[in-house]
Amino acid sequence: MSLDLARRPAHRSRSVPPPSAGPRRRGRPNFPAGIAATVWLLIVAVPVYFVVITGFRSQDQYIEQGPLDLPTSPTLDNFTSLFDLGFTRFLTNSLVVAFGTVALVLAVALPAAYAIVRNPSRSVRSMFNVFLLGLAVPAQAVIVPIYLIITRLQLYDTLLAIILPTAAFSLPIAIVVLTSTLRDIPGELYEAMTVDGATPARVFGRLVLPLSRPGLVSVGIFVGLGAWNGFLFPLVLTQSQDQRVLPLGLWNFQSQYGTNVPGLMAAVVLSALPVLALYLFGRRHLLSGLAAGFGK
Amino acid sequence: MLAATTAVALTACGSSGPGTSKPGEPSKVSVWALQDAAVNPIATSSIDAYNKANNTKIELVTYVNDAYKQKLQVAMGSPAAPDVFFNWGGGNLAEFVKANQVAPLDDALAKNPELKAKFLPSVLDVGKVDGKQYGLPMLGVLPVVLFINKDVFAAAGVQPPKTYADLLNLVDVFKGKGITPIALAGSQGWTELMWLEYLLDRIGGADKFANIAAGKAGAWQDPAVVKALGEIQNLVKRGAFGTNFASVNYDNQGASKLFATGKAAMHLMGTWDFSVQKEANPDFIKNGKLGFSAFPAYEGGAGDPKSVVGNPSNYYSVNAASKSKDASVDFLVKSLASEQYVNGLIDAGQVPAIKGVETTLKSKPNADFTGFTYDLVANAPSFTQSWDQALSPSVSTELLTNLQKLFLGQITPDAFVANMAKAK
Amino acid sequence: MTTSKAAARPGIIWAAPAVLFFAAFGILPVFAVVYLSFTKWNGLGDPVWTGLSNWAALADDSELFNGIGKTLLLTVVSWVGQTPLALLIGVWAAGTQRSRAVLSTLFFLPLLLSTAAISVTFVSLLDPNFGLAADYGKYLGVPDGNFLGSPEKALYVIAFVIAWQFVPFHTLLYQSATRQIPVSLYEAAQLDGATGVRQFFSITLPQLRNTIIASSVLILVGSLTYFEMILLMTNGGPGTATRVLPLHMYIKGFVGFDMGYASVLAVVLVTLGTALSVVVVRLTGYHRMTSDREGA
Repeated sequence: MSLDLARRPAHRSRSVPPPSAGPRRRGRPNFPAGIAATVWLLIVAVPVYFVVITGFRSQDQYIEQGPLDLPTSPTLDNFTSLFDLGFTRFLTNSLVVAFGTVALVLAVALPAAYAIVRNPSRSVRSMFNVFLLGLAVPAQAVIVPIYLIITRLQLYDTLLAIILPTAAFSLPIAIVVLTSTLRDIPGELYEAMTVDGATPARVFGRLVLPLSRPGLVSVGIFVGLGAWNGFLFPLVLTQSQDQRVLPLGLWNFQSQYGTNVPGLMAAVVLSALPVLALYLFGRRHLLSGLAAGFGK
Repeated sequence: MLAATTAVALTACGSSGPGTSKPGEPSKVSVWALQDAAVNPIATSSIDAYNKANNTKIELVTYVNDAYKQKLQVAMGSPAAPDVFFNWGGGNLAEFVKANQVAPLDDALAKNPELKAKFLPSVLDVGKVDGKQYGLPMLGVLPVVLFINKDVFAAAGVQPPKTYADLLNLVDVFKGKGITPIALAGSQGWTELMWLEYLLDRIGGADKFANIAAGKAGAWQDPAVVKALGEIQNLVKRGAFGTNFASVNYDNQGASKLFATGKAAMHLMGTWDFSVQKEANPDFIKNGKLGFSAFPAYEGGAGDPKSVVGNPSNYYSVNAASKSKDASVDFLVKSLASEQYVNGLIDAGQVPAIKGVETTLKSKPNADFTGFTYDLVANAPSFTQSWDQALSPSVSTELLTNLQKLFLGQITPDAFVANMAKAK
Repeated sequence: MTTSKAAARPGIIWAAPAVLFFAAFGILPVFAVVYLSFTKWNGLGDPVWTGLSNWAALADDSELFNGIGKTLLLTVVSWVGQTPLALLIGVWAAGTQRSRAVLSTLFFLPLLLSTAAISVTFVSLLDPNFGLAADYGKYLGVPDGNFLGSPEKALYVIAFVIAWQFVPFHTLLYQSATRQIPVSLYEAAQLDGATGVRQFFSITLPQLRNTIIASSVLILVGSLTYFEMILLMTNGGPGTATRVLPLHMYIKGFVGFDMGYASVLAVVLVTLGTALSVVVVRLTGYHRMTSDREGA
């Protein structure tokens, strides 16, 4: 849906001067929004503060001190003990799932988007419509047959069992976004290469691939985050500790740790670190990736 | 049409059995059990011992509790199925038996009469389906008992309840002192179920649930069931569980902690909560503040106050499609009542369903509690299995949903039994 | 090889991998779920054809209308709560003041956390005896901290946590869209002496029309799929106070192992989702944009 809108701001931004230029009307205070922003800031900050501060607290301190006090003697024990509980394994699994899904999606979506943009035939057009329709199918509605298919393919309890359906349900949005990206490539460029006698494969390698990089990055990040956070497919399609991904691991810690809230919060902090790294080093890409998919 | 053909194609290719072993090669046996840091090493060591003595490759695979039932359901009938699997006996086991997925163990027991004589009969019975033995007890007995916070009781100058009237009186006493009388993890329906299980057992006797489990017409509408449900709503109204019980969780030990910290006086829970407390609140156990008692008698009730409810044990069963069936059965026969295995369980704080372990229990830590548990079960005329294990999964989910609503006062006992009579 | 223009266009084969893959894991399951809705299957063995009996059971399902009702309520509450908040904060955060830029970084923090992480965090925070709910519940008129256990409040608490997770994302959309509004519009308004509030209603709001539609579509369609957080936080309880339709389906299928009936619910869910999409598409005129694009 609405993806057309999603790419519009990004598209337009090229023709608009950077925000810092010129006098801005937003230089004046804006009280109602300021108040709303401040209140919401508190609402966001308190749980985040709680998570971080509690992760560094010992279990004893958590019980003795108030939940929002600063820890008097911060400790890293919670984090080190997580690694004994198989956290590294969960992290690796999640990374495999995220990267595997992204690779698979990009590998099939970009050629498809290329065909959709450059092949005017009716059959290709109707394929595109199938993907558009696919945007509306909620993944959990088909979880029973997916589960049936995965068990019959003997993929149950493998990371591939998570990757395949996750990738399939990311395809519609990936294709829609990549199609928009490829439409932005001026037709003359295609024509010029065609006149030189380039095959579609050559056009794809020389023109489509390099010029669609921003779109690929955005789609990659969006799809990767979705796979990283996915819960339902891992829940239903895997079982063993060896195949467990982070979100399931967190859920499991909740019952394993019981009252050890500090241990649980340390797990939450660690699970956010890879995305935090992405945020710090590629803030623009991350945000554009999020906007590309326009949410789940 | 398309859907039908695709589904047929899908279902057509999923029926090869688990495990592969050719003659001469060691038999491969996979044993599935719940992840349990205390018990898994015992299983592993008896597996190692058995593997050494026999030409077998037995392997233990463990899963966490939350997901195990679903995982097993999914795996059985697929090539990934285990040869030997952990289960809860009763209705849970019966589902697999009905699907012809479990091998009967009667022949093996007939060949080893001394083995059969070792198990506590009330516990062994729960491994039977339609008179045939399909599961052997492999863990300790886990009856539900009433835990008492001794400090809180001493401060109020009261004694553990012997009768239901005592219990009601205690509710008023503790409520008056601003203490939650009974800790209840009401966000999880199965903790509430324990109250219904015991109240029905005390009010109507063990037959009432046996009728329900057997699917007899009108079993849910029995007046004893309605009365037990009414007592539950009275308890809630009286404030026995406080006002926020529906927010309290067992899995994150919300209820256990509430009770251990003295914010609640009593806690009706399976004996496994002892190890939960030992882990999470070691001082509570060390200082001897954890008391325990049988569920009180109900004045005028038809049930025997010595009866218990809970998890009689957990069971190992053998997959009927296993390629190493003989090796699997032999492993169970040789291991489950062996001295090494039973002593291992006792060392881990379990109370095995094996006759004559009292003396061993006395020489081990926490002898008070394990001795209490053993006597409770050994003297019990009946051991009613937890309903959510005894009934089919679909009826259990209905049961737990309706029970939560009953505790919240959203439905009446009559509506409850009407809903349950419809559930299938 | 030929040099004709038509031959140089990518053939349908370029789209084939994506189409086949999506057909296997996206389209086939939709047909399979319809088939399964006419069978009895408990996950063991093979599904057995039982005709319409699952569909007949729909009439007896007392939780069906509860599920639909809770789903709609959650949708409405999410929209009413998130849209004005995200709009206000997004417009505010679009300002160029350095403080706003720093604060908006904080706003985006929830984006780093997965649904599972957010859920376990809030379950800890909302523990009625040992969480923040115990200490601070009294300031919110809930002295016993009974948030997730209250049949009246639980759904709103879930809606709040959903807002906590997703408002940052919508804020992001509004922030970038606001930055695209040409400064000249505001300069003209200032010359006319229009107040800040006036400018907001006569310039900002109309200019953000498309973003508001897009964001609303996401909230509406997305709320049909809020499921994981509810599963993790209340499991549909207390009673069935938070048992939305997707969760009802999951419980029937993967807790009660009545896969046939769960498939009936899945068909209902897909139908509702599609209907909602169609309504939204009609109301927002999205289909006209689609046809524009198809002409491209």
